Amino acid sequence: MKIPLSWLREFTDVQLTAEQLADALTLRGLEVRGVERWGANWNKMVIGELLEVAPHPKADRLQLTKVRIGDGPILNIVCGARNIAAGQRIPVALVGAEMPDGRRIERAEKMGIASEGMLCSGQELDATDDGDGILILDSSAPLGTPLVDYLGEDVIDVDVKPNRGDLLSILGLAREVGAITGAPVAYAARPLKEGADAVGAGLALRVADEALAPHVVLRVVDGVKVAASPDRVQMRLKAAGLRSISNVVDATNYIMLELGKPTHAFDRAKVGETVQIRLAKKGESLETLDHEVRNLDATDLVVADERAALALAGVMGGASSEVSPSTSSVIIESAIFAPTSVRRSAQRHSLRSEASHRFERGQERRLATLGADQVAALLTEWACGVAQTGRLVTGAEEAPATTLNFRPSRVRALLGVALSDDEQVALLSSIGINADPAADATKIAVTPKRSVSAEKGSARAVRVPSWRSDLEIEADLAEEVARLYGYERIPTSVPSADLPSHRPSPTLLRDRVRRLLADAGLHEVVTHALVSAAQAELWSEPASIVTGPLAASEGSAGGASIVLQNPLSADHDRLRQSLLPSLLDRVDANLRYGATSGAIFEVGRGYGSTKGAPSEWTRLAVAVWGDREQGAPSVGATAWNLDELKRLLAQVAHLVGERPAYGSSIESAVLHPGINAVITGDRIAGVLGELHPASPIWRDEPRILLAEVAIAGLRAGRVETAQIALPPATPPVTRDVALLIPAAATVGQVVAVARSAVSRATNVELFDLFAGAPLAPGERSAGLRFTFQPSATGADDEAIAAELTAFEGAVLRACGARIRGVEGQ
Amino acid sequence: MDLAALEKQLRTLQADAATRISAAASTAELDELGSSLLGKRGAITEILRGIGALPADDRPKIGVVANEVRAAIDASVTARRVALSAGELLERIERERVDATTPGPAPRIGSLHPIPETIAAIAEIMASFGFVVSEGQEIEDDVTNFQLLNIPEDHPSRDLWDTLYLQEPGRLLRTHTSPGQIRTMQAGGPPIRVILPGRCFRYEAVDASHGFEFHQVEGLLVDRGATLADLKGILDELAKGLFGSAARTRFRPGYYPFTEPSVAVDVSWPGSKDGWMTILGAGMVHPVVLENGGIDPETHQGFAFGLGVERIAMLRHGIPDLRAFLENDLRFLAGFR
Repeated sequence: MKIPLSWLREFTDVQLTAEQLADALTLRGLEVRGVERWGANWNKMVIGELLEVAPHPKADRLQLTKVRIGDGPILNIVCGARNIAAGQRIPVALVGAEMPDGRRIERAEKMGIASEGMLCSGQELDATDDGDGILILDSSAPLGTPLVDYLGEDVIDVDVKPNRGDLLSILGLAREVGAITGAPVAYAARPLKEGADAVGAGLALRVADEALAPHVVLRVVDGVKVAASPDRVQMRLKAAGLRSISNVVDATNYIMLELGKPTHAFDRAKVGETVQIRLAKKGESLETLDHEVRNLDATDLVVADERAALALAGVMGGASSEVSPSTSSVIIESAIFAPTSVRRSAQRHSLRSEASHRFERGQERRLATLGADQVAALLTEWACGVAQTGRLVTGAEEAPATTLNFRPSRVRALLGVALSDDEQVALLSSIGINADPAADATKIAVTPKRSVSAEKGSARAVRVPSWRSDLEIEADLAEEVARLYGYERIPTSVPSADLPSHRPSPTLLRDRVRRLLADAGLHEVVTHALVSAAQAELWSEPASIVTGPLAASEGSAGGASIVLQNPLSADHDRLRQSLLPSLLDRVDANLRYGATSGAIFEVGRGYGSTKGAPSEWTRLAVAVWGDREQGAPSVGATAWNLDELKRLLAQVAHLVGERPAYGSSIESAVLHPGINAVITGDRIAGVLGELHPASPIWRDEPRILLAEVAIAGLRAGRVETAQIALPPATPPVTRDVALLIPAAATVGQVVAVARSAVSRATNVELFDLFAGAPLAPGERSAGLRFTFQPSATGADDEAIAAELTAFEGAVLRACGARIRGVEGQ
Repeated sequence: MDLAALEKQLRTLQADAATRISAAASTAELDELGSSLLGKRGAITEILRGIGALPADDRPKIGVVANEVRAAIDASVTARRVALSAGELLERIERERVDATTPGPAPRIGSLHPIPETIAAIAEIMASFGFVVSEGQEIEDDVTNFQLLNIPEDHPSRDLWDTLYLQEPGRLLRTHTSPGQIRTMQAGGPPIRVILPGRCFRYEAVDASHGFEFHQVEGLLVDRGATLADLKGILDELAKGLFGSAARTRFRPGYYPFTEPSVAVDVSWPGSKDGWMTILGAGMVHPVVLENGGIDPETHQGFAFGLGVERIAMLRHGIPDLRAFLENDLRFLAGFR
């Protein structure tokens, strides 16, 4: 809401500067978006007086003028306008001035005669819509004064919150200003002189649904001459951010800004005998003033006559009854409409107007009559109109008075500030919320639906001003007291009582994982959860990968992709099911930025929907490419490869006390079908591998490796306290087992058999893997090192031998692998 | 062999040894020389074999001489070793000298993203006041995201949030972390001190200070006597924790449907560019919201606050464009230590 300060001053005295007022309003909860000086772009423009106006010897459409601007030399200015005469005061753009449209005024020859500046029209100043004539100023305009000092305007732009519809008006803001300055606030209604004709002749008003239009007022003004508004009106509307249309439309807009009451003017000649307020009929349509034809819904409230809809009630007028230059008589409609109905219509037709904005926020009932009368008064003043006697009215003109009770003690308890009962009442009265003398209040509205009884004598009652429909409950008054007292004066303290019991942070493990990865040289990223259809189709984790308690704690992946109803773009129209596509997108970006090596990770969520029930799961995703470590003169660089990625995941898994195991590979569009594995485990599970060579991001060098895993406790788990047995004095022993693995079997299978069959081993490592001659094609030789920790008593050799024998049989049965030899001590 | 002859042999050995010891070129040569003179099978021992031929009276005398010679040789070996080893040490040092001023291999630089790290910074400050992190769901329903927070359908206050809706009717992506207030209250009664960080979504065009995905941290305290003054105290501490102990706060009325009174908090700190910067919204929990959370507003009260993580991170790190957070350029990320 833009407030020209001169307008504000019509209702209350303001001694503060615009900046001081802006600060004071902001501290009272009326956030000021900005303060501007309207007209500040009129540089080198001053007020001049026409001394002579004479015809140009060579051009009929030009005139020669002599202009006095204060004490300086008389200027010779050539002018094309016809509305000038000697003795007038006019705006003069001096040589060197820049016009609002960017044009620069130079000393110029016009048909052989020098011109030392320009006389300005309202349009050239961007002040009015009149481009034909020079803007003629009042004869008292001070000569030589910069134009901005005479016509300029301080404008404060206030961000009005949705609960304070009353502040969408100059008068409403004046009340707030008055509460700050202590100056009285008064609205002097323009007197309306009515004509001889009575309004009822030939026009009726019928309201079909009083719930949607509880109060409607019509006035008719005859003899209207539609023209441009007076210059000062056009400028004031422009400073307030509104375009000038015509004197009739401007009158309605002027009153809308002044009182916050939208009204609408219909061309009387285009309206039948009955103005009806009713719901639209099925199939009915309406061309609105923006020349869009709207197909109306049966819940749209319209203003109509007996033939057709004329306007979308509270939102926008219709083209068929629009005021035009030929209009001579107008109907002013000033109504109270149900806010929800107006809001729904405005939303349905994507048609937000200044009027609907105000109707949605609720209207003070008594403004319907006042608004109609004030518009009519302006039409008599600006457009030679004659108002017919009386109004057509439905519904009560005043809403019943309401009182609101509050307990000053409760306000003190809520705010934590010692304000006496009387101080609170005095603060409220400064904004027009006056205490009722009847001090017998006991019913306290705690919420709009719930009241409690106060002890007799402990509560005060206030009369809620008719414009403050936002004051519904006791807490609303507490806010008014705090606001008027000043938040800055409320003390600061720290709550001392009632501490909840200890709860561990759910991010403890996650933070350890993140720190470990960052220390290992990875960069944490945060990527979009909303992705494109193509990204979503790339990969989604099958429910078979993360199961059991791990799925319970971290969330089970799967279900259908969740698609937005109103996406901003197709690139982000659905929720991701996997973090990998989002991560790949960032790998691609960084490759484009020249990062030939990189390592990134994200802890984030996947989303899916199963039978309409949405679910969210938490995963860690990693993408690495290029060098893991740069080289130096004495050491070579190490590249990221499957083993280095596994080392990293093993370090992460160690935080939850597990060593990842690798199972069969999967077929997908994201991972290289020949270079990937499923990670299986109770506390870590997922997939890892190289990027699929068919991916558009794939390149031969560097290769991109990916992993996505669930980790027990990543979402909200604790860091478990490890239970530690002291190691015996005997050193560990090892057994190196050489195996021949047939082409059909994987090392992962062999290791899995080894881990389960040799349960005494504290560790199993693959220390050698060889393929090629003299082995058969596809056959591999593997070396597994088993580490055992003999007990203090020793004599475990037999047990170890027995387990290794069992392993020999098991691995042959499971994988067809043969043990070629065992070494060790 | 008589006494004199033996003595002469020893003295000759002594003189000869002195020459050879001083000529020894290395500690290794000296060690060898030393044992050839003084060792069990060394020259002195060899000479003293002749002692058996001497009369018994002379034997102690030659013993005295032999000890003198031994001591003299030993002393010159020791002296020579000191001289030699100092030289050899210098030689080793010179031989092993390298240019240790090379820059060394590049470190493995990883980083933690400023968004989760800013959340962690807020969590750490609030933990000292007993607030613990709790994380809610991002897919919400209209009821919890709006209606239970005192934002009815068809109310103009809905205009404060441009919402991304799911195709499923009634479901949406949470526009703020505030529905966590309802879920927290419903999950357990007061006293409550909790912060709720997380990702939020809005139907919003992307520019330097807006995105359709962003993060918020919600805070909620409900007990028997928390006041607006307490809200000021806690949030002043939070601002100081985030922007330094010299930071100042300004509290002014704001508007949120789920708080009454509502508060907007501005902060200013030495080095802040534009004076007062609005960093969070807050207020005393609205009685309707308390009731919707299952808490009686007549016996309990509290306050809530919410802040935009991106905005805080931008202000703290001097980042001019919010889009950098989702861009994840490694050159940008590497700056976060």
